[in-house]
Amino acid sequence: MTQVTLKPEDINLNDPEIFERNQAHQVFDYLRNNEPIHWNPEGERNVGYWNITKYEDVMFISRNPELFISSKGITSFYPKDESELDEQMSGNGKMLITMDPPRHVRLRRLVNKGFTPRAVNAMEDHIREITNQVLDDVAKKGRCDFVLDVASQLPLAVICGMMGLEKKDWPYMFELTNKVLGQGDPEYQTDAPEELRGTPEGARIAGQMGTMQMFGFFAQQLQDRKEHRKDDLISLLVDSEVDGQHLTDEDILWFCFLLILAGNETTRNAISGGLLALSEHPDQRQQLQNDMSMLPTAIEEILRWVSPVTHMARVATQDVEIRGTTIKEGQRVVMWYPSVNRDEDIFPNPHTFDITRQPNDHLAFGIGEHFCLGAGFARLELKVMFEELFRRFPDIEKDGEPERLRSTFIGGIKHMPVKFTPEA
Amino acid sequence: MRVFVDPDLCEGHSKCEKSAPAVFEVRDDDLSYVLLDPVPEEHREGVERAVRVCPRGAIAMTEDNE
Repeated sequence: MTQVTLKPEDINLNDPEIFERNQAHQVFDYLRNNEPIHWNPEGERNVGYWNITKYEDVMFISRNPELFISSKGITSFYPKDESELDEQMSGNGKMLITMDPPRHVRLRRLVNKGFTPRAVNAMEDHIREITNQVLDDVAKKGRCDFVLDVASQLPLAVICGMMGLEKKDWPYMFELTNKVLGQGDPEYQTDAPEELRGTPEGARIAGQMGTMQMFGFFAQQLQDRKEHRKDDLISLLVDSEVDGQHLTDEDILWFCFLLILAGNETTRNAISGGLLALSEHPDQRQQLQNDMSMLPTAIEEILRWVSPVTHMARVATQDVEIRGTTIKEGQRVVMWYPSVNRDEDIFPNPHTFDITRQPNDHLAFGIGEHFCLGAGFARLELKVMFEELFRRFPDIEKDGEPERLRSTFIGGIKHMPVKFTPEA
Repeated sequence: MRVFVDPDLCEGHSKCEKSAPAVFEVRDDDLSYVLLDPVPEEHREGVERAVRVCPRGAIAMTEDNE
């Protein structure tokens, strides 16, 4: 890794290359120790924002959802020219993740019974079956692209199954998720003309097309469920009421959009990032494989280490002072999870990957009002995946360098070649 | 001190139960219940930790003189 000399005025977390090259921790270490609340300069098209890099500050912001709202968008990017913000397409205020209290809690309660630890654990056998089907498909090959063939397949199958989608549609959901959440990466800008790929305009086109295609797909699903209810989340939403009113079609479509994206992108990266972290720390991996009862704390350490979602943004509803810096009403704050999860004030030896770490109160799932709804599924999918993976392919190892996603929002791995002794 | 769990926010993550097992119990309805009222001082550390680590910020405590 190249060492870079940093100055606060040079730091600009609008630059996805920092993440693609895996240099973000150098920036975050510097900020935490020199300018923990740092004004990030505006970009060509987007407004400036405060980078929040300390654990306690992210706790404070997350615990005060009325003071720091989500309905002005949850990523660092917010256009300078608000006319650029297509209200119809932005989804701001329309999904759980971009919604404020009190409506947020009411909408969340429609589905959260399906996501509680008890409900999740009841799915363990089912998840183990899917996991083994995924591993069956590569078992005889002895090598594969771990992200495409393994890590992405389990969370995709689980969320698509919960939403009642037919198996033939799953690859399309994977493709559209990549377009929306990986829009900044030229690999997923297939809808943009070749000369625009790798540019902000290419990203805009990819994101917009992915979103439209997703809506087109779910509009058909919704129509189908209205005619024939199934035992799935879409049918549940069709019959749900908030404050005595049925959800509108638009409400349901945004709900589906969020569920499919959040359900398959994040856990994919935790699984891939987890195997990568274990490969890079062979002593830790050996310890785990010798005693798989250490898996629960190992999973928490993987989550802390990988922090698959790099940030969430909020907007201040009044002037607030944090750590001596005044955040002005209307200004944007960006909470950087990879940074707070290596905050020296909270985690001893934060840059040490330690599968026995306890306590490990990482914020990889956020905290408070918007705590990740799917956290239980993520944890269970990680547990079952590593149990089955190491049982069947104990010598699985990296067979080339991973390719990271070009994104400031998702700490993603696109491809990671692996090899292992094939099953007979 | 007195301790309250907001049933609208609680989702049964059970972090409170692990932090202060004598004070909180997560039941079959996926909600956490406070077992003691008032909560004796000896449980203060556990309760404070529960308030802090609750993923949903669902736990509140008040002092006896409030």
